[in-house]
Amino acid sequence: MTRVLLVDDHPMIGAALDMLLRGTGYEVLGRARNVAEANREIARLKPDLLLLDVNLPDGSGLDVLRRVARARARPKVILLTAGMDDAQLLTAADLHPEGMVLKTSDPGLLTECMDAVARGERWIDPEIADRTRRAQERAASAPPLTRRERELIELVRQGLRNRDIAAELGVTEGTVKVYLHSIFDKLQVENRTELALRAAELISR
Amino acid sequence: MQQLTTLRSLFKFHSGRVISLGRVMLASTLFIIIMFGRSPTEFTQNYPFLVAYAAWAVLIAAATWKNWWLDARLSVLTHGVDMAVFTAIAFSSTGWTSPFTLFFILPLLSAAVRWSWRETALTAAVLIALFMIGGFLLSASAGFELQRFVLRAANLVILTLLLIWFGVHQRFARTFFRVEDFESVVRGGQNPLAESLRFAMRATRAGGGALIVGAVGEEASDGFVIGADGHRNFTAERPLTSRLGESGDMALLFDLDAGRVLTRPPEGYFRFLRAADVIDLEEAQRLGLTAGVIAEVATDTRQGWLALWDVPELSTDFLDFGRELAGSVGSLLDRYTLLDAIETGAAARTRLSLARDVHDSIVQFLAGAAFRIEAIKRSAKSGAAVDGDLDELKRLLVEEQSEIRGFVMALRQHRDLELAEAVAELRALAGRLGHQWSVDCHVSAEGDEVAIPIRLQLDLQQLLREAVANAVRHGGADRIDVGLSVARGEVQLRVVDNGSGFAPGEGGAAAEPWSLKERVERAHGSLRLDSAPGSTNVLISLPLKGVAA
Repeated sequence: MTRVLLVDDHPMIGAALDMLLRGTGYEVLGRARNVAEANREIARLKPDLLLLDVNLPDGSGLDVLRRVARARARPKVILLTAGMDDAQLLTAADLHPEGMVLKTSDPGLLTECMDAVARGERWIDPEIADRTRRAQERAASAPPLTRRERELIELVRQGLRNRDIAAELGVTEGTVKVYLHSIFDKLQVENRTELALRAAELISR
Repeated sequence: MQQLTTLRSLFKFHSGRVISLGRVMLASTLFIIIMFGRSPTEFTQNYPFLVAYAAWAVLIAAATWKNWWLDARLSVLTHGVDMAVFTAIAFSSTGWTSPFTLFFILPLLSAAVRWSWRETALTAAVLIALFMIGGFLLSASAGFELQRFVLRAANLVILTLLLIWFGVHQRFARTFFRVEDFESVVRGGQNPLAESLRFAMRATRAGGGALIVGAVGEEASDGFVIGADGHRNFTAERPLTSRLGESGDMALLFDLDAGRVLTRPPEGYFRFLRAADVIDLEEAQRLGLTAGVIAEVATDTRQGWLALWDVPELSTDFLDFGRELAGSVGSLLDRYTLLDAIETGAAARTRLSLARDVHDSIVQFLAGAAFRIEAIKRSAKSGAAVDGDLDELKRLLVEEQSEIRGFVMALRQHRDLELAEAVAELRALAGRLGHQWSVDCHVSAEGDEVAIPIRLQLDLQQLLREAVANAVRHGGADRIDVGLSVARGEVQLRVVDNGSGFAPGEGGAAAEPWSLKERVERAHGSLRLDSAPGSTNVLISLPLKGVAA
């Protein structure tokens, strides 16, 4: 019996997966509805498999995945998502979850994916694979980060405000804003919070 | 031409320079007159004194030429010195008959230029007092000419009155159209033309008025007229006046009975015209124009006319005043346009965020439904009974349908909801939620009759869903009472359940449910939670205004 923890905030999905997995080789241990609950339940229940939504009310399922990926005894993870943007796709690809399935795909694909992952294989929804490939192409054709931009990202990661960053780099606050927007464009992130959260993986690219 | 421009820039916005230069010129004039004067006594008496004063004038001019701080700092001192010096000169030369009493004009004018009418009046009072005291002290002496003394004193008083009037008038013009005055006027949901016209009519106490504006280059213009027989909107097909000049900010006075029009370009002379040559008389008659002022109005994108008639105390000053007023009306119209754009933008953002909610909700629901169908298919394959599952799925689909209908209606809606409508929707939702979670869920409402913005109503619905889900999931409640009240510009949603309560968070207080908290924060509201076994009380306050996403 594979012990499954579901992380998804939508009630309809939760109930439907309960039904879908009833009488199969999977036991649904419980359900977490946000990042905080997910981290807690993973530690408490120690599931074999995580069905993980990406867009959660208090953060990103990718943060849960990142934390899981660092743990020693880790559950296998299947990302189950209604849709991801380029940045999320690239992050997901870097974090190597065992499975990825779109909620909008044929429901049969989810069970196919779960079975494959339970056997120790990696299974990615063909549509996600395709979108990831295109996102990677787009990212590869984007201009690389300059040294200055990397410095600035590091300062954003440290939680510095624009004014402090400007003082640190010896430029004006306006210049910092211009730099930041150029970085947002290059890395296709929406805001400084996202930039700070994903700084490590963005700089290493 | 170049030199003229340089000269203008030297003195424009430099009243301090004008005053100090005037002082230098006056001091040197006095010096020259006395040096080459006929009386040797006066020469020897006044020479050192005048040299000192001329030097002082040059020093002040040089020190303050580029130093506004010093200019302001020394203004009262130099003013006092001027008054003292000119009084001394008047009485030390030929006394009360001295032609130098004319020099009193400098302190008077500089007070008028530099300060307000109050300081001008004070200066005049001091000067007149000094002049009188000097006069009376010398009145006993031989050769005192009362007639001349009175003439000069009267001269001083008349000049003072003119300057005070000028000061009052200038002050009035400066402070009349303050931005704050606009803000008290401009509100959403008003007719911009009507409100701007009323503003102009209040300012001039006009009995009738019309404001006509149209897009630049288009024939038809929108108009609003207020007359003795009420007010109405109208469409003007033709211009009210022919173009009066290139500047587009002309004003004219008109008297249709006499067939006269008077105008003056901003820096020009009066032009006396025939009304028929300038004004479209037919249109003017239709609007009810009699005698008054017409000024050209221009906004960022539109242009037109402001016409005011039955204006009490109409005078030539209304040529300038009308122009000023038309400028203010233009700004007012621009403000309305801006306000409208802001409101439209906020509505668009609300719709966008609604559309995102709908999309997310529908996608998730359909995905869930598809998983359920897959599950039912498998059950059917294995021979299990699926009727119950199919009924449940049908029920969910019907419920979702009404949710989606609600969302779409909200997207379409152009108006806010009445409180009663909002409560009815919440009651229907409470019924569905009660069924879904197998709990008793009731809604009661009280408060003023207010309009509830759509975004706020959707927030309330979502908060209710989440609060009910929390109460059942975490507290195991089976009875939930929902109270909705409106007071002091806030909507309060109180959800009381009989569940086991929330687990305490850090610090011992009940942990705030993140889903509620996040939504409440987004709507700029506040959340309070009192939780104890057997009773959990969630109190949410949301502002009625400023909830645009």
